[in-house]
Amino acid sequence: MLVDISGFKEWSYVMNEEGRIRIGALTTLTQLVENPLITSKYPVFQQVGDKFGAPNITNQATVGGNVCAASSAEDLLPLFLVLDAKVRLKSLRGERIARVEDFVLDKRIVDLEPHEILTEVFFDEFGDDESCAYDKVGWRKSLILALVNIAVFLSLDRATETVRNIRIALNRLKGKIPERAKLTELKLTGGILDEEAIEEGVQTLAKELVLRSDYRATAAYRVEAAKTLFRRVLSQCAENIRLGD
Amino acid sequence: MKFNVNGKDHAVVVNSNERLLDTLRNRLDLKGAKDGCSSGDCGTCMVIMNGRLVNSCLILSAQARGSIIKTIEGLGTTDSPHPLQEAFMRFNASQCGYCIPAMILSAKNLLDKNPNPSRFDVRRAVSGVLCRCTGYYKIFDAIEYAAEQMRGGHA
Repeated sequence: MLVDISGFKEWSYVMNEEGRIRIGALTTLTQLVENPLITSKYPVFQQVGDKFGAPNITNQATVGGNVCAASSAEDLLPLFLVLDAKVRLKSLRGERIARVEDFVLDKRIVDLEPHEILTEVFFDEFGDDESCAYDKVGWRKSLILALVNIAVFLSLDRATETVRNIRIALNRLKGKIPERAKLTELKLTGGILDEEAIEEGVQTLAKELVLRSDYRATAAYRVEAAKTLFRRVLSQCAENIRLGD
Repeated sequence: MKFNVNGKDHAVVVNSNERLLDTLRNRLDLKGAKDGCSSGDCGTCMVIMNGRLVNSCLILSAQARGSIIKTIEGLGTTDSPHPLQEAFMRFNASQCGYCIPAMILSAKNLLDKNPNPSRFDVRRAVSGVLCRCTGYYKIFDAIEYAAEQMRGGHA
């Protein structure tokens, strides 16, 4: 039996409720990137949306569907990982909350019971001195799987330029699903974010990556692309914070 | 299942596993939307559903209940073509023609929202349709020309 839930408008929303950004599972990518809260406060989702797919795809693709698809070329998952987002899972027996990081178990496998349905993804709103950025490289700009994508969340003490907190996620790190680069995070946390530190971070990331070649790209290409994207995205986060007030 | 296609109300009986694309092509005899890849990659099955471009091969007919659909057949007539259709003819933007209904609908959807698109906007707007003949450039030129004509009040 197939149950169509696409007409269930109640699960299509973006809202800030007491410091928590809540995104309904049936929100399409188009609705997400057109949402005023997203455009004004969370442009990182537009960075994802710009490279996610053509309009006919983003009009149909939903946030919940993208999370549950759990593929290795996932566009939203690295972002949700660095936002430390959580999913709300509902069933007749009640509801439970799971971190996205724990929810996605392996390629195409999520921790969803047969009687459950994912209704929402949520994360904490950004504080001062916090920023997030995303970038992706594929064969073309739109309607293409990511060869490499990366999301970075940065919390920077502006007075001292010290990294309070950093979270980094790529579509592939070691396995077949998006994962956080925790060694690189550790390397950068607590230090001053200058050019030298960024380069050290880039080198750590290159060591942390265990990638395989496939018909889309070689492992060596993916590592080089990841280094470039990381440098770019991290610098962008820092720049956003410095420019903010 | 009741829905409105190109301004006309229809009531059709559909199978529960029937795709919108098949309902349009086989029950309503609207052959403009094509069954290119059946997997949402090529975009040639594109229609405008409730004001949004969608791949009709990825939608079950039952999901289109109560919707308002526009297909290429609703855009102009042989005697009175839409400015986009005229522009595609003028620029020889169509070769085999298979993807052209989807290209024109994508372009129309763009021009409805943005009457003065840049080349980047045009490229992005049709990025969901694959064309294996033209190399795209004549299509971009035609869309930009049509936009110009429509801004000039010739529409």
